[in-house]
Amino acid sequence: MEVSIASYIMLSAVLFILGAMGVLLRRNAILVFMSVELMLNAANLALVAFARHWGQTDGHLFVFFVITVAAAEVAVGLALIVAIFRTKKSINIDDLHELQG
Amino acid sequence: MALQEFAPIGAMLLFAIIVASIVLVISRIFGPHHPTFRKTAPYESGMKPIGPGTRRIPVKFYLTAVLFIIFDVEVIFFFPWAVASRELSLLGLGVIGVFTFILLVGFIYEWKKGGMEWE
Amino acid sequence: MEASFDFWTHLPAVIPELLLTVLAVVVLLLDLYGGKENRRNIAFVSAIGLAAIAVTPLIWGPSEQQVFWGGMVRYDLIAQIFKVMIIIGASITCLMAADDSEVGHKGEFYLIVIVATLGASLIAAAADLIMVFVGLETLSIPLYILAAFRRDDERSSESGMKYFLFGAFSSGVMLYGFSLLYGFTGETNIYTLSQAFPAAVADNPLPLIGALLMLLVGFGFKVSMVPFHFWTPDVYEGAPTPVTAYVSVASKAASFALLVRVLLAVFPVTLVIGQENLQTLWVNLVSVLAIVTMTIGNVLALRQTNIKRLLAYSSIAQAGYVLVGVAAMQSQSDYSVASVAFYLLMYTFTNLGAFAGVLIFSETTGSENIKDMGGLSRRNPWLALGMTIAILSLAGIPPAAGFFGKFYLFTAAVNANMVLLAIIAVLNAIVALYYYLIVIKVMYVDRSQYDSQSIALSRSTLWVIGLTSIAVLLLGTFGAQPFFDWAAQGAQALLAL
Repeated sequence: MEVSIASYIMLSAVLFILGAMGVLLRRNAILVFMSVELMLNAANLALVAFARHWGQTDGHLFVFFVITVAAAEVAVGLALIVAIFRTKKSINIDDLHELQG
Repeated sequence: MALQEFAPIGAMLLFAIIVASIVLVISRIFGPHHPTFRKTAPYESGMKPIGPGTRRIPVKFYLTAVLFIIFDVEVIFFFPWAVASRELSLLGLGVIGVFTFILLVGFIYEWKKGGMEWE
Repeated sequence: MEASFDFWTHLPAVIPELLLTVLAVVVLLLDLYGGKENRRNIAFVSAIGLAAIAVTPLIWGPSEQQVFWGGMVRYDLIAQIFKVMIIIGASITCLMAADDSEVGHKGEFYLIVIVATLGASLIAAAADLIMVFVGLETLSIPLYILAAFRRDDERSSESGMKYFLFGAFSSGVMLYGFSLLYGFTGETNIYTLSQAFPAAVADNPLPLIGALLMLLVGFGFKVSMVPFHFWTPDVYEGAPTPVTAYVSVASKAASFALLVRVLLAVFPVTLVIGQENLQTLWVNLVSVLAIVTMTIGNVLALRQTNIKRLLAYSSIAQAGYVLVGVAAMQSQSDYSVASVAFYLLMYTFTNLGAFAGVLIFSETTGSENIKDMGGLSRRNPWLALGMTIAILSLAGIPPAAGFFGKFYLFTAAVNANMVLLAIIAVLNAIVALYYYLIVIKVMYVDRSQYDSQSIALSRSTLWVIGLTSIAVLLLGTFGAQPFFDWAAQGAQALLAL
């Protein structure tokens, strides 16, 4: 049985928009961060779907790199959240107002 | 569209939901039901509960998790190489060797800086 | 990878990157095993190592311009020029950081700068969407760490967090744009992508426009283009000063190199979908963004009291000027690409000089307020002179290099029949004179509470200020034409495709 490429792309677009909305609307840094991951993974889904559609491996290759880069980003992001929490005792991004002007 | 191929899964799902809700509803209706403060309180060896149920997790767990993620995920680059290692011959081996070496340097750094000390 | 893959013909194309990796490992091991008392020397090892690597693209490269490593990187003169620029910028940053009390004695700092430089160097030559993404993230992720390097300082960790959240979001959008481009064509190489467009999208240009906009979000963030500039002032103010300097020069130069290459290669002038010429579209878009970016940057700079924040808004405005040159690429002349490259080259030295001055000033007085810079000319005339040269260059006043930089950019716009754009840019440059000259006036005329306190220059900071000032003056006088011709030669290589 065959799921059409359009279904995959629709799903990935929905996930991407959910992620983007999450980044723009959420105030908790961890949730914003999870939404960013959702965006990246929506792109990953699109890439593998396209790779299968074109019958070649470039898309899979791309996804490998995206996954590792995302892991590095997770590490840095979590470390930043911990650093923020140590000084501010809060991870609400609205509390980040030390710098303004 | 081959939607009917999903029919067994759908039926299974529906069946699970119905059975589970029947069990829940029946016990709700016919079971004895006398709530008191002590009965609804979370169980802590019979003691009165102290503080909220969710605790802060020590930050060390985050550190360990983060360090684990990095090394865990970098390893996926070994799989494509392993699959094609025969075609890639010695050059491939050399390149993956360099990759491993760089990972190893990171590992030594983590070790020396005390990233794996629990206290 | 075919069986005929010859390692040795491909090797020279990535010599700088390989050496940067080696240097990173060396610095890491030095930090671990070198002992505490030698920490400061890591700065000099990094600076000298980077300076040596900066020369390699010039003396050792493949004999011909083509794509290497399975289409991942393209070796050409313009890439080499940008690599030299980026790596020299990193070298001067390391030298500058040696005397910073907060980051200078930490080996990790130099390690992370070198890794970021590796990413910047890769995107200057990237010819494949995969390489573009990996390179951009190799540049960005270390920068998030650097911005938050002073962990215990609320402002620093806050700036790192903001940088990270904006950066991760925009790279997510950009990645989705990449996946769409790949989806339309089945290609990831930016030089073959555009040939597959007409067959892929038939007469409907909308999907391509969507992908173009998504790409611009990612690149716009990196070059702090309005409306993706919100992180800039906060990160510039909160991050340690050497990091700010690095973000404003190396990261920006690499991102512009990438922007120019991707726009020219993926959306070339020959690409017409339906009735729509996509190049006209992005040229119009970039022109509007250039106008908005420089105007907002300059207007907001007028009311700043913190020198780092002032330089942040100034750098947004400068990005706007460079976008004028990018828009002028519609004429397909090498002049516009060369003007962009020249501007970024001179901007590298100019901004490093300015930030070195700010660093020394804030290290001694603990203040970053412009009014506290009063009487700087009496407290240390050489520092004030170095700052003055840098600020004159930012303002575009001869004999500093900024004059020729702006001259070439605006001439490129006029050559491309974008007279209105050039006029708006000139008006903006005049507005900008006001806030730049105020800083100079404060340094030479005003007095402040710190007036009697003299400022000492250490040897490394003296080197930074001296080198950048000489480079700025050289590029503003005899050096301008030769360097511009060199960049034009590189631009021809880029446009030859």
